[in-house]
Amino acid sequence: MVCTGCALLCDDVEIGENGCRHACRIGDAHITSTNQIDPMVNQSPVDMDAAIKSAAEILVSAEKPVFVGFGNSVTEAQATGIELAEKVGAEIKTFHTDIFDDILDGRVKTCTLPEVRDYADVIIFLGCDPMNTHPRLLSRYAYYPRGEKRQHGWEEDRTAITIDLRFSHTASICKEAYTIDPNRQIEFMDALMDALSNKVPKTTYDKKRILKLAGTLKKAEFGVIFAGTGASAPPRDAIIRLMDRLNESSDFRLLPLAPGYNLRSIAEQLRQLHNRPGDDGDGGSDSSSGGSGMDLHEADCILCLGFDLMNSLPAHGINGKMIVIDPNETLTSRYADVVIPCAAGGIDCAGSAVRMDGETVEIPLIRESERLSDGAILKQLLEVV
Amino acid sequence: MKMEFDEFLAAPECGVVIVTYPDIFRTEAGLRHGKFSKEYQELSAVIVLDSGDMAKIEVTDGDLVEIKSEAGVVVVRVKESEKEHPGIGYMPEGAWAYILGASPVTPPASTLALSAKVGRSRQEIPAIEDVYRR
Ligand code: SF4
Repeated sequence: MVCTGCALLCDDVEIGENGCRHACRIGDAHITSTNQIDPMVNQSPVDMDAAIKSAAEILVSAEKPVFVGFGNSVTEAQATGIELAEKVGAEIKTFHTDIFDDILDGRVKTCTLPEVRDYADVIIFLGCDPMNTHPRLLSRYAYYPRGEKRQHGWEEDRTAITIDLRFSHTASICKEAYTIDPNRQIEFMDALMDALSNKVPKTTYDKKRILKLAGTLKKAEFGVIFAGTGASAPPRDAIIRLMDRLNESSDFRLLPLAPGYNLRSIAEQLRQLHNRPGDDGDGGSDSSSGGSGMDLHEADCILCLGFDLMNSLPAHGINGKMIVIDPNETLTSRYADVVIPCAAGGIDCAGSAVRMDGETVEIPLIRESERLSDGAILKQLLEVV
Repeated sequence: MKMEFDEFLAAPECGVVIVTYPDIFRTEAGLRHGKFSKEYQELSAVIVLDSGDMAKIEVTDGDLVEIKSEAGVVVVRVKESEKEHPGIGYMPEGAWAYILGASPVTPPASTLALSAKVGRSRQEIPAIEDVYRR
């Protein structure tokens, strides 16, 4: 079975009578979760048809609709969501996908997870803590396993380093950890760039340690940066500048660690949409990290597709009508105008997904249920709007 | 109602920069018990403070503190850090930190880190429904 608890999409999970084998804490909780919701309109239970009808009415009358999320839906449902967004003139905000655009455009080098396992000798966790977000990354690919060219595993063959605003769980198992002051993140990145250019960095950080770090990075045969997309990660352009500088003297690849199991797929689909002949990129749909495009506070309708918006932004600034399509109860579903429960990708909904490294993975069903998939719900909406 | 003398005194405050972090146990609690559960709330409404900062505001591990920023106010439980990081308060990603204005995505380089004041609280931790009333 494939776990859709995060974008590693672990394909070795076995489901038995006594629970899941091989899944991590998040995977096990995700697969066995029973936190389902009922269809609701204005916080009162209704049947599915009434909820879908109500959502359609809101979408049709909206002037500034925005769709958010998409990272927790199978690829096929995402495609239907894009069609619906185009039909109703909605902007799509996916959050956390900016850095994927640089990879998809070929602006920065990347690699697959099996390549990390087989070849990586220097691994940087930059502004991320996979032990808490992608728990099996280190054991399956990035650190512990022996690989084709890394037969001695982490003890001798790999150097893992964290650069983060906090001494995280991942930092505690890495060989080196650089904890950065949140107000001096750019200073650290600039100092590292200087050190990589053989200059003594002008910085209040420990110069010797930064020079040592630069030396390790320059000697890498196959370096990999796992970069976070949250608030602890350096800005996207600082990461790209670092990648460029590293690749002047060694060989580094970038892999973003983003929330959701299928965010890379929506980034790919939106990119294809914008590269369509005749599309100037200003059409109905647009991907954005939340900083660009329409401000959510301006939207008069927000459709949350597998995304707990209110657990991600201060809710008091949001005024639009809220439609939630989600397998589980979320903070957002409690306050939404319309709630439409759906089957969960990889649990009671099959499809495909794109792993964080770009590999397409077929997602089978773990169990049958009566729930409609989000793709089927979006199709029904598409037919009536 | 009888008032104690110290209730008229303002609790000492300390300035901190808020940094958010992911917590696997909190994610697990949200999936297993739901986002309105006691388990999820207990793992969400937390700030990890430097022991020196805790001494300044006269709190010990497990006490309740009020955190105020320009965007909002929350009450959470304080946890003493195993590391030294004066002036930095670590909070789990999610509702309680975002109400203070913490960014869920990578902010632009020009954005200043989120500053807040933290001090002892006499209020209880509010239910998530109250933090997030629309
Ligand atoms: S690491 Fe991710 S995909 Fe693998 S079992 Fe854990 S949650 Fe599931």
